[in-house]
Formats: sequence, structure tokens, C-alpha cells
Amino acid sequence: MWRRRVLSEVFTFMGSCRNKKSQFIGASSSVRACSCPALPVHRITALQAVNSWSQHFQEKGVSEPDLSSRYITAHVLGAKTIEGIKAETLSRLLSPEKTQQIWKLCAKRLTGMPLQYVIEEWDFRDLTLKMRPPVFIPRPETEELVEFVLSDLKEKTGSLSILEVGCGSGAISLSLLKSLPWLRALVFDQSEDAITLTKTMLQLYHLDILKEEEAILSLCNGVQALVSNPPYLYTEDMASLQPEVLRYEDPAALDGGTDGLVVIRQVLNLASKVLQNHGRVYLEVDPRHPPLIQQWAESHREEMHYVETKLDFNNRPRFCILQKAETNKDRKQDLD
Amino acid sequence: MVWRSAPSLLQALKLLEPSLLNISRKGRLLNGRLQQHVIVFNGLSKRTLHNTASLRVAKIMSLDEIFARKSLQDYLKQVEHEYNHCLNAVNTSELEEYPGEEEQRVKRTKVSLLRPVIQSITELRAKEKEMTETEVLLKDEDQSLRELAEQEREACLKDIKIFRQKILDLIIPEEDADLNDLVLEVTAGVGGQEAMLFTAEVFDMYQGFAHYHGWSFDILEYMSSDLGGLRRASASVSGGQCYKKMKFEAGVHRVQRVPKTEKQGRMHTSTMTVAVLPQPTEISFSINPKDLKIETKRASGAGGQHVNTTDSAVRIVHLPTGVVAECQQERSQIKNKEMAMKVLRAKLYSMKLEEETSKRYQQRKIQVGTKGRSEKIRTYNFSQDRITDHRIGMTVYDLKNFLLGEELLEEMNSSLQDFSNQEALLELLGEND
Repeated sequence: MWRRRVLSEVFTFMGSCRNKKSQFIGASSSVRACSCPALPVHRITALQAVNSWSQHFQEKGVSEPDLSSRYITAHVLGAKTIEGIKAETLSRLLSPEKTQQIWKLCAKRLTGMPLQYVIEEWDFRDLTLKMRPPVFIPRPETEELVEFVLSDLKEKTGSLSILEVGCGSGAISLSLLKSLPWLRALVFDQSEDAITLTKTMLQLYHLDILKEEEAILSLCNGVQALVSNPPYLYTEDMASLQPEVLRYEDPAALDGGTDGLVVIRQVLNLASKVLQNHGRVYLEVDPRHPPLIQQWAESHREEMHYVETKLDFNNRPRFCILQKAETNKDRKQDLD
Repeated sequence: MVWRSAPSLLQALKLLEPSLLNISRKGRLLNGRLQQHVIVFNGLSKRTLHNTASLRVAKIMSLDEIFARKSLQDYLKQVEHEYNHCLNAVNTSELEEYPGEEEQRVKRTKVSLLRPVIQSITELRAKEKEMTETEVLLKDEDQSLRELAEQEREACLKDIKIFRQKILDLIIPEEDADLNDLVLEVTAGVGGQEAMLFTAEVFDMYQGFAHYHGWSFDILEYMSSDLGGLRRASASVSGGQCYKKMKFEAGVHRVQRVPKTEKQGRMHTSTMTVAVLPQPTEISFSINPKDLKIETKRASGAGGQHVNTTDSAVRIVHLPTGVVAECQQERSQIKNKEMAMKVLRAKLYSMKLEEETSKRYQQRKIQVGTKGRSEKIRTYNFSQDRITDHRIGMTVYDLKNFLLGEELLEEMNSSLQDFSNQEALLELLGEND
């Protein structure tokens, strides 16, 4: 039930809109009834739109209500954040088209769709990436993973090539390429959807590391680094995820098996085969994993020496770095 | 166009009263010679301020006037004397036994430091001599010779001016931070929504000023209010000499006008504050990462793949001093962290500089730094279409164009610079006018 609000003279309610499929709200018929406010009759300012949608989101239990309305409004006005819009512009009346756009996007957000999917983009370090379900949305922690890889790669001379397993939106490799344009990156993802979003400056392959290792091996030899943000959640934790994560993001990008290490183990197997001597593998993991990974590597992958565990900005063990020891079975760098 | 006809004397007195009160309250007497009410810009033109007898205006001396002062001539002679003494010591030591290694090294450094000034002084003296010789020719009977002499004299005057300016540039001590980039902070003060609207206008003005000078202007923070005003904002500015110029903009700016929100047409006075913090270079100032506490929204819960959030705000606390910097300007968290670090570094560096320079600026009229932060430096009066800077008593007209942050602001800023240089010079010469 709607309650009247202070701005009631701005909005008029066309009765219950449960039965109406308003042309402005492009949401497909969903499990929930369409309980979104109608378009305002009189023109409103951007700030008023932000404030009223903040309230709606809050009442409907949408997570991060303030941020959601601000990001959507900023996006419609052509900026990334509300702070990037001049104060003057925010208090100007919105055009009917812009108002419609805001309403359309906010209605999507009301259904619980993650904000990044609603505005179809998000920032990762210096890049703005396309976001579309079910491709996994990059997390802020991964921005730091790129930082570590970069600081190591910058020291290296000569031709550089890396491999990324589970590229998703391409965030990691595209970021590395931005800073090191001469880098050669081969990226793999088992999902067709992931590949279509990434650009062609990477060599993209639709291959599943769990099933098609041979195919991957045939494509690359002697890379200097292997980077991955593999699915690392414990299966038992999947059920307690936020609804918006569960419903919209690819579970294959999240579920790492009973101990969360199924894909990680396979990545380490691959690493020992494709890395040059002294090449490194960089992983983002669950905070419980580092000691387990170290143990496993020592007993199953002797040639992979555990270098260190790095903490994320919340001081949780988040990143594992392992290095391939010198072996006489080193494959020459012979990329095709 | 800077000067326009004056309002009636009575009107002018009434409106100028607040600024007069300001000046006398501070108990600072302006130069006694000010009764002449003359302002000289860069030694070029003389304009008379024809407002009122009681408006005291700062006098900026021309190059000729400065060089006419005995204190300067004495100082230059002193420099020459010191240079010659050191030079002699360095040269003779090659022949005799050394008096002391350390002493020699000091003298050698002094020689190389003073050499540019000495060179300029020598060049100046040569030109002055040349000019006196040319002046003799001006009285010659031959017309063509006189004309030639006239041209020579003009050229000499030009060169003399250049050398004089060069000497001043060399002897006036420069602030360490003058070569730095800066962080600009604006905050709305007294006056509610009206103050916030004014803050937005001033921030825009500085954006225009940065553009005018070809500096980069990256917004770090922008908190707007409900009616299109600005509560607080900050920007990172970088480019040639930006701190050297912008440091004079720090302080409290006051606006007098009928606000947009005012229904009864009454005039209001509101304020906003500008702070200018020099940004240190990486090498000159380092912060120990262990002293920092970085706060983000992802702190609670498991983080990582578990949670999707769009809250990328970062807050950094410098534990030893308690200084805080935050940023939510960007969607990328690592970018917000970089920006917050920029602001933090600027704040900490500023604090460090404060200790070093506070003594130096103790006696000056133009205050830079935290002491100047609460000083009312400028009034923007809309009904009279004028901007008055209280530190040098300078008034510029045409508010609309001033707020663009182009020539008019540059003119006022240059005058402040000239006056500040003059204060520094007089201090150096041991004069406290």
C-alpha cells in the first residue's frame, strides 16, 4: 500500500498500478507485482528524483537505497557519480525523456537487479566496463590484485605474455593491458556470455579449465604470469548469498565446490605446465584458503613454491602468489 | 575595464565602513604614504582611486621607487662585498695553506649561489653607465645624433628594467611550496542556502581560473545542497606556479547581495571559506602506511565474491595526527583511495609547512596558511558590482566577468603577488614599514 508523502502534490497515483502494465516501466512480468510509483505529472528536478527514489527503495527493502537512486540519476544525466554533476544542474528541472529514463532504470532496480546490471556498466580501476547478467561483476578487492600483478610485471623486460583463467567481464586483463599495452594476454572462460562482452584486443577462448585442459595447453606455452579470480566460494555458503547475487550472477563464477578449491587446484595444475621458470601465479581467494593452498601445493605441486599471502584493504588474507621453481622441463616461449 | 565613476561620497562612506572597521580593528596601519591614494601596477601606469578620502589603499612601489631606496642599494653592496670576500678566500687558498676544509666548502657554495645575482648587478651597473653616457648625447646639437641617442635611451631603460626585475626575483626569498601542485577546498560558511549558492559560484570561478592558466582541475569532492548550492568541494589543481598564485585566494570571502531565496528584497551578507593546501611531491614527503587506517564499506562481512556493493567510498585516518581524508567521487574504490591519499598528503604537508613558515609570515599583511584561514580577505558586493580585496584595499568592478576567473581575477591576484613580494623584500632589507 502506498502512503502519501510530502511530495504528494508532485506525484499522482493512478490508483493501484498492479493491474496496469505502464508503458514507462519496461520490466517484464516478474514474480513480484509491479509496485513502482508512476511518473510525476509535473516536471521535477534531478535532486527531487533522487530523494523520492531513495525513499521508494528504502521502503521496498532494496539494498543501498541512496546510492542506487544517485547512481541511476547520475548515469541518466551522463555522469558517473552525483558528485560529478554541477550543483546548478541538479536543481534544474528534468526533461520528460530523462525523467522516463530514470523511472525505467529505477523500476529495474526495484526488482532487485544489481545496480551494475541496471546501468549496464561499472568502473574497474581506470576502465569503464560493460555489465550484463549473468557475467560476474568485478569486486573492489580484485582491483588490488591487478595492482600486485602490475608491480611485478613492470620490473620485467622483454616480451610479456600472461594467461587469465575465468576472465568474466575481462576486468583483470583489460586493466593490465591498459597499463602495459605491449602485453600479450590469453584469456579463458567457460561461459559463452563472458566472452561476448570482452573486447578483441585479448585473445579469447571459450574453454573450461575443468574439462578442456589439453585444449588450453595446446594454445599456450611459456607465459610469465597466470592470473585468476576463480570461483572460490564454499558450496555451503552459496545459499546465504545476497538475493541479488544469487538471482543474477552466474553461479559457476562463484561456486568453488565443497572446499571452494575445485577450480583453484586446477588453476595451479595448469600453472605448473604453462608458466616459464620463475613465472608466477596470482590468485584471489577466500580468506580461509591461503594455508590450505600452501599445504596442497607442497604435497601435490612441488614445483610451485608458495611465495606469499597478501592482505586486502580490510586486512583479510585475500591473495596468494606462487612461483614456479626452475625445472629442466621448461618449455621455450613459443606462442602461436 | 576596472575603474568607473564613483558613487556619492556619503554612499561610498556608508558602504565602505565595514571594510574600514575591518582594517582598523586589526590595528594594522597601512603605509603612511597612502594618503596619496595612488595605486601603481607593475610600475606601469598610475591611476587615481577617486572614491573617498578615508579609503586606505595599499601602495605597491614601482621598480624605480624600489631601486631608489637606500636600503636596497646598501643590501646589494653588501651582497657584492660578501661575494668578493668569498671569491678571494677561495682563490687565494689555492696558493696558500687552507684555513679549514669546512669553511672553504661553505665559501665555495656561497660563491656559486651569489654568482647569478652578482652577474645581474654587474649587467645593471653597466647599463646604467651606458645610459648616463647616452644622456650626454641627448644634448648634442646634431638632430640625427639626438634622435639616435633617444632610441638608445629607450632601449637602455628597457634593459635596466629587465635587469632590475631579475635582481629582485633572485633576492626575494621564494616559498618552498611555490613550485608545487595544490588541493583547493571550498566550504560554505555563514548564511545557509545563500552561502552555499555563493560557494558554488566561487568554485566555478576557480575552475575558470585554472582553465585560464592551463592548469588541470580534478574534482576530488563535491557535496551539493538541495537548491543547487555547494556545501563543500575540493579539487586537485596542478600546473605551472599554481600554488604561487592560488595561495593568495585562501581566506574568507564575503558576499553582499539580495539572495535568490529572499522574498522581501533585503540585502544579506554571507560567507564562504577557501583553503589552499600545497601538495608535496612523492620524494619530499612520505607517509608510513602503518600509520594509516583505511575504512571502506566492505569491512563488515566476508567481502570478496560474497558481496556485491556499489559503495566505494574510502576514508583514511592518519593515526598519529588524527587527520582524516575521505573520497566518494569515483565508482572505482581504488581510485577513491588514491584521491583520498592525495588530500591526506596535502593536509599533512600543509601542517608541516605551517610550522616552518609561520614565523616568517608573522608580521605580514598578507597571511598565507592557517593563520590566514579565518581572515576576511574579500567582499563581493553585487549591488555595487564591485569586488574589494581588504588586504591591499584594491577594488575591481564588473562582478560577472570577475566570477569567470579570467583577466579580472588575474589582475587582482597579480597585485596581491606584487604586494606580497614587496613585503618580503622590505623584510629582507630590514625595514618594517
